[in-house]
Amino acid sequence: MTETLSLWQHVEIWLTAFVTIALFSFLYKDNPVYKFAEHIFAGLSAGYYVGLIAQSVVWSMLIDPLAASFTDNWLLLIPGGLGFLMFSRLTPIGPIPDVSWISRWGLALVVGVTAGIFIISQLHGLVMPQVRDTFVSLDPSQGTLKFMTALMSFVGVIATLVYFYFSAERRGALGGIAKMGIWFIMIAFGAQFGYTVMGRVSLLIGRLYFLIHDWLGASVGSLFR
Amino acid sequence: MSIWQKLASLDRRWIYSLMALTVIIPLVFPPKLPIQITVEAQKLFDAVNALPDSSTVMLTFDYYASALPETEPASRGALHQLFRKNCKIVTMTTIPLGGPSIAERVTRDVAKEYGKEYGVDFVNLGYKANYVAVLQGMGSSIEMIYPTDNMGTPVADLPLMRNIKNYADIDFIFVVADNAIVDYWVSIVNAQYGKPIVASVTAVSAPKYYPLVASGQMLGLLGGMRGVAEYEMLIKTPGTATRGMGAQSLAHFMLIAMVLLGNIGFLLTRRASTGGRP
Repeated sequence: MTETLSLWQHVEIWLTAFVTIALFSFLYKDNPVYKFAEHIFAGLSAGYYVGLIAQSVVWSMLIDPLAASFTDNWLLLIPGGLGFLMFSRLTPIGPIPDVSWISRWGLALVVGVTAGIFIISQLHGLVMPQVRDTFVSLDPSQGTLKFMTALMSFVGVIATLVYFYFSAERRGALGGIAKMGIWFIMIAFGAQFGYTVMGRVSLLIGRLYFLIHDWLGASVGSLFR
Repeated sequence: MSIWQKLASLDRRWIYSLMALTVIIPLVFPPKLPIQITVEAQKLFDAVNALPDSSTVMLTFDYYASALPETEPASRGALHQLFRKNCKIVTMTTIPLGGPSIAERVTRDVAKEYGKEYGVDFVNLGYKANYVAVLQGMGSSIEMIYPTDNMGTPVADLPLMRNIKNYADIDFIFVVADNAIVDYWVSIVNAQYGKPIVASVTAVSAPKYYPLVASGQMLGLLGGMRGVAEYEMLIKTPGTATRGMGAQSLAHFMLIAMVLLGNIGFLLTRRASTGGRP
């Protein structure tokens, strides 16, 4: 950030820096500044989300098309009406009795459609291709590295599946293979945890990079130049 | 009290401070550490590079502001590589908080460097709720899902969108995400519409997606800030991910040292308290 900053950019950077430091202050101990920043985030997020949904869904996909041509788009009243019924969850209000059960109609439609799409897409798009890819060749003539990788994959899949087989007592060969399955699962968890640590460190780097370069370097630094 | 007992009862705030210093010092004085390119990052770069010039690419900004350090550099890298090939770019997001504005800011920022014009070379469709319906619906009609772009302009008025009706008119999909939305891009858009997909994901979700590259369902993958740093090397445009790698490596060294010290201390103090009995 080498260009001259405008007043608004300075304000934006200082606000961001304040909120970042306020949230980091929790690492020392819980305090009112941290709570203040946390509540600002929660409030802003909720307000922004409501505004965005109103503009990008309710307005542009329901009200605008109905206003443009009601006869062409009257079918939109059905999803719009089902969506409106969700507000029945707020009942009883004043003279309106408890009719919150009506909200289940809209939910039932969403759950039904989503489940239908998910079952097919997950089976067809993820489960089957992954199962197909597990059918590896165990021919040793394909080269040592390829053979060892294929063997590891084969043993790992079988051992892990055996670990999740609960219909027989784990003794003898079954117990041994299940124990091997635990090892594979633990290694996978270890890799996942390592990646998680890397991700969290990256986020810390991002915030500290902002504080050092954008706030201290560009904004505060410009006051002394 | 032995040194190990003192370490075991150390206030965790000292560890936080040490971690902060470990990250701050290399950010101020960046060390020169080599970055090895992984197979998955190379595959992603090659897949984008193999696209014919002027291809139409959908670039997604499926991430919250909280994941910016791992994801924004990937979006910037993708825009650099795609604009250099004169690709036409359609951006969209399934994330409400931050997604549309991040897409707007980052895309316009990089487009300015290449003299690209909004509506002709790139378009930001913005956000729509219910990602399953969005991903499925764009297979029939993008305009049905996105009647207007992020700024409220009807997509029919945007020259770029006149020839882009649905996935059939999209050549390639570059997903940048911080969540499981990649599953749906693969299971809906790749599996049902045959669109080639690459993804840049946060480190937390990366292990889940390596099998999808191995099976050929995704053509390449960038895992976390490290993967993006590799990509920045490949496109010869070092950015914030590359600058963060020194701090990342040193922070990992420190964490490994802490884990080792903690375990050695635990074993020694336990041995002392049990008089050497296991």
